Amino acid sequence: MQPDQLLEEIREANMAYLMLAQHMLRADRAQGLYRLGLSEEVANLIAALTPGQLMKVAGGNLLMCRFRFDDEMVWNLLTTNGKVDNTNSLHANILMAGKMAEAA
Amino acid sequence: MRANKSIVGESREINLAVHLIKLGARLQVLESETNLSYERLLKLYKEVQGKSPSKGMLPFSTDWFMSWQPNIHSSLFLNIYEYLNKSSAIDEIDAVIKAYELYVEKIQALGFESVLTVTRAWRLVKFVDAGMVQLTSCTCCSGKFITHTNELTSDYVCGLCNMPARAGKTRAKAQLH
Repeated sequence: MQPDQLLEEIREANMAYLMLAQHMLRADRAQGLYRLGLSEEVANLIAALTPGQLMKVAGGNLLMCRFRFDDEMVWNLLTTNGKVDNTNSLHANILMAGKMAEAA
Repeated sequence: MRANKSIVGESREINLAVHLIKLGARLQVLESETNLSYERLLKLYKEVQGKSPSKGMLPFSTDWFMSWQPNIHSSLFLNIYEYLNKSSAIDEIDAVIKAYELYVEKIQALGFESVLTVTRAWRLVKFVDAGMVQLTSCTCCSGKFITHTNELTSDYVCGLCNMPARAGKTRAKAQLH
């Protein structure tokens, strides 16, 4: 991949993420915070970005979003099927919601 | 109880009641969470649902939350509820509604039936407030699940780490085949 193409794709991913985050926070703040897993302070900053600022933030060479769960257990559960269909995903979701609540 | 004199406050309560009715809440929930009269709530219920509300008492036992499938569903709901409560400053009933919506969304995305009703979810939060049930960490997966308060939990293992042999083979499912 060409370097400028990489930068372009990072910019697009950032734009998509930040715009989606703004949309979710405006639609329903509390549920948006849950879906995004952001702290209230960061959420306030993102929600207050003007389109111009958003373009500027998105235009770096770094991705603005990152992985929320680095727990091996969660990943194992998410990528395998349980004894009964989808129970592992359900299990993973309980773990994820619980970890987020600890961090919040 | 909130004072209910302003028209704006009343319209807020009507909106709340309509939202709860749409989610399938029983009349007792509405009576407890709003200051609207029983007659008005009854009228509202019929208008929104097109039928009379079911009668009888609410389920009042904490035991329902302990059996295998309900425990998993309600644990998911309670984990989401705790998150919402910690991350934003919202009223308890709003947190119940939002957490319940997120729970139903997730459960349906996974292709399950939502076992937990909004009335039961509301009831569960009351049980937690009253200190009758709590979230306990599983010693195997460290996920948090609902248990009775003061139960011996030093070696607690959740229903998903230690699945019962007949898990997922309910009578309802058997009848389908």
